[in-house]
Amino acid sequence: MKVAIVRFLGTNCDFDCKYACDTLGIKSEFVFYTQIDLNGFDTVILPGGFSYGDYLRSGALAKFSPVMDSVRELAKKGYPVIGICNGFQILIESGLLKGALLKNKTLRFIHKDVYLKVEKSRCYFTKNIKSESVLKMPIAHAEGNYFCSDDYLKYLLDNDMIVLRYASKNGHINDTYNPNGSVYNIAGICNENGNVFGLMPHPERVVGDLGRDGEIIFKHLL
Amino acid sequence: MKYVVIVKPKKGILDPQGKAIKKVSENYTGKKIEDIRVGKYFEITLNEPDDELIETVAKNILSNEVIEDYEVIKK
Repeated sequence: MKVAIVRFLGTNCDFDCKYACDTLGIKSEFVFYTQIDLNGFDTVILPGGFSYGDYLRSGALAKFSPVMDSVRELAKKGYPVIGICNGFQILIESGLLKGALLKNKTLRFIHKDVYLKVEKSRCYFTKNIKSESVLKMPIAHAEGNYFCSDDYLKYLLDNDMIVLRYASKNGHINDTYNPNGSVYNIAGICNENGNVFGLMPHPERVVGDLGRDGEIIFKHLL
Repeated sequence: MKYVVIVKPKKGILDPQGKAIKKVSENYTGKKIEDIRVGKYFEITLNEPDDELIETVAKNILSNEVIEDYEVIKK
């Protein structure tokens, strides 16, 4: 697999993703947002950051970048696409994943480690992780409050598209462990095919010397 | 030709900015305020009127239909 790490104006987690790929022996290259053709790549990472300064809404302007047509095409063909933090916001705004990411309920930018329960889902990136496992990863965002209609939440549940939920260290889920107000404590979802995955936590920051919990997500790109 | 587009959070959508502003306003004035919702205001100037263009921009760029409603006002 060869991974395209897409850089938009304002992306700032690109080198963290590169570090994660290099550490795990995953072939990767940076791709600029103006690139039209993603020939030769079969996986995409949309890293975190503040694309277009988060103007208008997070991810709203990045979705019109030339590279996004190719990302859509790869996603449609079933290749793995992962959007982390701002990348998740871009996937949502692009319509590759559904719902919306609102401002955190606390109105604060939150940066801290959280625990995540791995749900039984169809997601490609967690297929080798036992469901009910608990992972520890950092979050760092101001707009990570996942929102969707009740009908769509039911659809997500019925189709095993909820991948990660904010939980306690022991995997217990309630409002206390919900850092941003997300519906159903959702931290990450995937599409119907399981190949497009968006999450607010940063797995690329828990790789190599920094830990193992992010590695098991990235290892699926090997 | 000037258009104004106002984008507002949909009814029922959590608006923490509005809540914070409401609280400060109540503390400052000492009076109860029913509700404050925060929206966005866009002024768009065109040489020739083009309602369809404004509708496209308002629908596909300025607002997110999952969480926001928009209103177009012709000036």
